[in-house]
Amino acid sequence: MKRRDFIKSSLSVAIAGALSGKAISSAFAAGPIKVGILIPLSGPAGLFGPSSQNCAQMAVDEINASGGILGRQIEPVFADVGGPPADATQAALKLWKGEKAEAFIGMHDSAVRGALTNLFKGQVPYIYTPVYEGGECAAGTYVIGETPDQQLAPVIPWLAKEKGAAKWYLIGNDYNWPRDTNAAAKGYIEASGGEVVGEEYLPFTADNFDSNLAKIKDTGANAVLITLVGGASVGFNRAFASFGLADSAIRLGTLIEENTLAGIGAENSKGLYSSAGYFASIDTPAAKAFAEAYAAKFGADAAALNSLGESCYEGVLLLSALAGKAQSLSASDIDAIAEGTTYEGPRGSATMSNRHVAKDIYLAEADGTAFKVVQTFANVDPGNNCG
Amino acid sequence: MDLVVTYGLNFAYSTATLGLIVLGLAVVFGLLGVMNMAHGEFVMLGAYSALMVQQAGLPFVLAIPLAVVVCGALGWLMEWSVIRHLYRRPFDTFLATWGIAILMRKGVEVTFGREYQSVDQSLPGTVSLLGIDYPAYRLVLMAVIVTMFAALFVWYQRSNTGARIKAMVQNPDLAAAVGINTARLSRATFVTGVAIAGLAGVLLAPLVRVEPYMGLDYLLSSFFILVVGGLGTLEGLVTGSTIIGGADVVISAIFDKTAGYLGVLAISILFLWLRPDGIFSRR
Repeated sequence: MKRRDFIKSSLSVAIAGALSGKAISSAFAAGPIKVGILIPLSGPAGLFGPSSQNCAQMAVDEINASGGILGRQIEPVFADVGGPPADATQAALKLWKGEKAEAFIGMHDSAVRGALTNLFKGQVPYIYTPVYEGGECAAGTYVIGETPDQQLAPVIPWLAKEKGAAKWYLIGNDYNWPRDTNAAAKGYIEASGGEVVGEEYLPFTADNFDSNLAKIKDTGANAVLITLVGGASVGFNRAFASFGLADSAIRLGTLIEENTLAGIGAENSKGLYSSAGYFASIDTPAAKAFAEAYAAKFGADAAALNSLGESCYEGVLLLSALAGKAQSLSASDIDAIAEGTTYEGPRGSATMSNRHVAKDIYLAEADGTAFKVVQTFANVDPGNNCG
Repeated sequence: MDLVVTYGLNFAYSTATLGLIVLGLAVVFGLLGVMNMAHGEFVMLGAYSALMVQQAGLPFVLAIPLAVVVCGALGWLMEWSVIRHLYRRPFDTFLATWGIAILMRKGVEVTFGREYQSVDQSLPGTVSLLGIDYPAYRLVLMAVIVTMFAALFVWYQRSNTGARIKAMVQNPDLAAAVGINTARLSRATFVTGVAIAGLAGVLLAPLVRVEPYMGLDYLLSSFFILVVGGLGTLEGLVTGSTIIGGADVVISAIFDKTAGYLGVLAISILFLWLRPDGIFSRR
């Protein structure tokens, strides 16, 4: 092509563009919204990476099929935040400034959350999805996960009344989530007429629980609140049952999901209860439809559904609800309307309250290696997190 | 009183299982000087052998031959391809076996998935002993371990192979000069060591969590025990297990679990510092 022809044709394209400027700008707006999805694909929580990724992808596909967010398709950009906070911050920064992600959804530990709220400083909407210790109140941050108040306020009185739980032994790993959960638990145990007969925190490396079990037996506890995580929870629960303690005490866990229960095993799960906002076996139309769609999309061999993975699905739903109500994705617009925003997900209906959500809480009893929901507590308040 | 009996049995159990776990490494590291960082992974493979037998609906005891074959074959391959080139180069074996350990973890993760698995106890329930209820499987396991150690001790002291191994360990060149095929003996020793690790995995599988990364726990405690007990003798191994297991149980009982772990670390550091050859040493 000659130079003159090139200029001519470029000009005509530019003129045509100028004439139909409106069409062009709307075409630009219809470019995809990049949403940074921060999940652990490595490290100790890497176990939850596949189910988290599947759930987030499923929510994105469903929302895209029904028109996307504000008429724009969602493009998820995943990053591994299974490592230390400094690495997670780098990964998030790359998505935010490099990939131009306009919102973030995170399923990771609290140390990473602290680093990320420092990084984002309320300039980009950030939804934190997993169960955690409560108390997050940073601008632009929205929390879906269960707080200790939600998991315990209705459950401890119920167990006291129905199962006679009166002498509680509290055992957890040694970090802030178990300590804050137990601090909340003490109030509810006292209010239910029970007492705390022991409290213990174990290092993450603990793999022998014999001395703890001897103490539990010696105190005559008839209920144990377990805030051990992952492998420690599996090891503890297996040893607990092998000593025959399952016959004399019930166990309540606030982070015993389907994978942990599979590791504990059918012969060790008698009298084991778990309190959470989601179980794969919730018997509601919404949860069943979700589980069926998950199985249909990812096949029978896919990573098993659990509360942490599913929370990523809820995270995308909340982002869509917030953006829809604000008619914008800007952090300040969303912050202005967030309070009271509601959405419907597999967990039931959820309403934003003080950056957290009031929602249904399920108490499930282990039946072999499956959970059976024995009681549903409707619309449980997340407690005071911005004090 | 009940509490004392419980702690006593826990102490015996802890010592016995630590001894079982460390035995394979004591053979490989203690006799051959190969710092086998994949030791825990062979324990892990043993546990997965138990899982495979359970999933196939076969009796638990069949996991023992399966684990010995799986770990032995893999150990043979590992010795032939990597280890035999690295004898007397401890730091190189350290790096090479660490790489192999990663490969083994990832291999199991690809095959079985990252999730926790559960191996059933073939002897569930508790039995009444000295006034307390103690898990039946643990009691049987302790008896099996003690028998195994006694047999091994006698064999190592009395057999010709035991004498050849001792000769090879003390002076490989001289041993070769008097007609001992040290290359073959080293390989057999290595294969035996990792097969014992696999056996430990089978026996412990019903009691512990089973997942691809479980081996790391066993590696650390094994090295602590060898640091305290010293290399190359069974007496050292038993003493090391008793001190490490005992310190953990006693300190955890009096204070808490964190203190117990600190105690174990402190003892290991003190030994490395003041008695780097351990209590019993062939040197």
